[in-house]
Amino acid sequence: MNTRRRERIIDEVAAGGWIENGMTIAIGQPTPMALVRQIIRRRVKDLTVVDAGFSLDLLIAAGCVRKVVSYYAGGGFGYPVTPMFRRAAERGEIEVWECEEGILCAGLQAAAQALPFLPWRGAVGTSLPEINPDLKAFADPIRGETLIAVPPIKPDVAILHAAHADAYGNVRHLGGPGWIDLFMYRAADRTIVQAEQIVPNEEIRANPWATTIAAADAIVRAPFGAHPFYSRGFHVQDNEHLKAYADAAQSAAGGDRKALDGFLDRYCREPATHADYLERIGIRRLLGLHEY
Amino acid sequence: MNEKYSIPELMAVFLARQLNDGEVLRVGVASPVPEAAVRMAHLTHGPNMELVLLGARMNVAHLETIPMPAYGWDRRVVRWAESYSDTGHRFDRVKDWSNHVFFIGGVQVDAYGNTNLIGVGKDYRKLRFRGPGSVGTPTLSTHVGRYYIVLNNHNPRVLVEKCDYISAFGYGRGGADARAKLGIPGGGPRLCVTPMCVFDFDEGASRMRLASVHPGVTPEDVRSATGFELEIPEHVPATPPPSDEELATLRTRVDLAGRLRR
Repeated sequence: MNTRRRERIIDEVAAGGWIENGMTIAIGQPTPMALVRQIIRRRVKDLTVVDAGFSLDLLIAAGCVRKVVSYYAGGGFGYPVTPMFRRAAERGEIEVWECEEGILCAGLQAAAQALPFLPWRGAVGTSLPEINPDLKAFADPIRGETLIAVPPIKPDVAILHAAHADAYGNVRHLGGPGWIDLFMYRAADRTIVQAEQIVPNEEIRANPWATTIAAADAIVRAPFGAHPFYSRGFHVQDNEHLKAYADAAQSAAGGDRKALDGFLDRYCREPATHADYLERIGIRRLLGLHEY
Repeated sequence: MNEKYSIPELMAVFLARQLNDGEVLRVGVASPVPEAAVRMAHLTHGPNMELVLLGARMNVAHLETIPMPAYGWDRRVVRWAESYSDTGHRFDRVKDWSNHVFFIGGVQVDAYGNTNLIGVGKDYRKLRFRGPGSVGTPTLSTHVGRYYIVLNNHNPRVLVEKCDYISAFGYGRGGADARAKLGIPGGGPRLCVTPMCVFDFDEGASRMRLASVHPGVTPEDVRSATGFELEIPEHVPATPPPSDEELATLRTRVDLAGRLRR
């Protein structure tokens, strides 16, 4: 009988294979871009995506998305709304499950706790229950107040980026555990965490209180794996690269996809591995993104 | 018009004066005027304020300068954090938020202080303009003691009689009990500050009225740039502009890169 504890480290190409057409995926922040690029490279289709900002926009631009659990598609670089989300939503090419941060977390928590719903007060009086009929206003049975019933939001796979992980799925963040990442982990059937560094199990045991995720299903080694977004404790976001994407997406939203398709080919479809991608970005560019 | 200061600088200094020592000030992303206002207030009269920026909670009253972020997602602000709360735990103690203050924008704002970040167009499936989404504003606006609506533009498309969609509930269709009757605990919007003027809310009807006009703007200018019917009192004061001292503090201790002058 095999008595050896199973290690959970796989590479980003194998991890990309976990994401299948039609799945619901939750994407954390710091953004697990090594995995997002594999999803685009494999041309996965019809995903329901819990995500915000330019990584969401990139997945929409690449044709991977059917539905968005959406609370914020804000851009930057002169685009208050990310361009391809805006275009696809206005044309009805994607379905939008309209929510907000508190409701999203309540839905993820309901999934984690196997509840049919959790109540939420934020959004009472707003249009959210009208434009998202899954959110139901109800009278609470204790005090009779109007609240919103938020149904479970249950990802098939959560993909996250963190500072450190060991071979057994113990994960540690630096500078705060992401934004909604811990809720995504608790709600999802399976979680893949890409880490800046793989650390020895003894280092985890030296301070178990620092472990933020206790049992990720797979760990992917991915230094600079959040590029072009920030990775807390390691580097800031690459504004030049993100602006190049934002401008290409804006042109595509106006009808000219040439720059956008070039961007997707160059940075998402041609590099077969994360290492190939990092070589394409270049070591000087990457080292120029230091935090302080 | 006084050319010594920019309109965003005037708005930031005006807002800073509204904030009281001991309050907890929450700022979302992409809000340069509130980013400047909370730093300014903290330095000039708020040594016991707490700033909550990108989830990081801090008191940095001891610093000589509290520079504004270089861009919306400039994570380096966490270097000042004394504690941190992720999005999922942000709302864990809303019962204690009566001294919390928030700032909110909108693609539409209506006469009763409801705001819309969802989009514009009668058919939700085919919006004429798809907005960024509600972020956390529905829940934040529900629980904070008061909030300020801060706009970068003042025109009849933004300031409307009725929002196409409401992402943050202000005072509904008006009335003194608009929030109480829905059981919404927070105090609601206190003022709406635009590049032209300041609106406050009539106590009975909870409808916006003109409180002051910025130097160089007339009440008639405001009326013609506003999409809802506006009652204009006989005497409308001018928004007090920044003093030389306030402007010096803003420029040398907060807005070092001149973001509010661009």
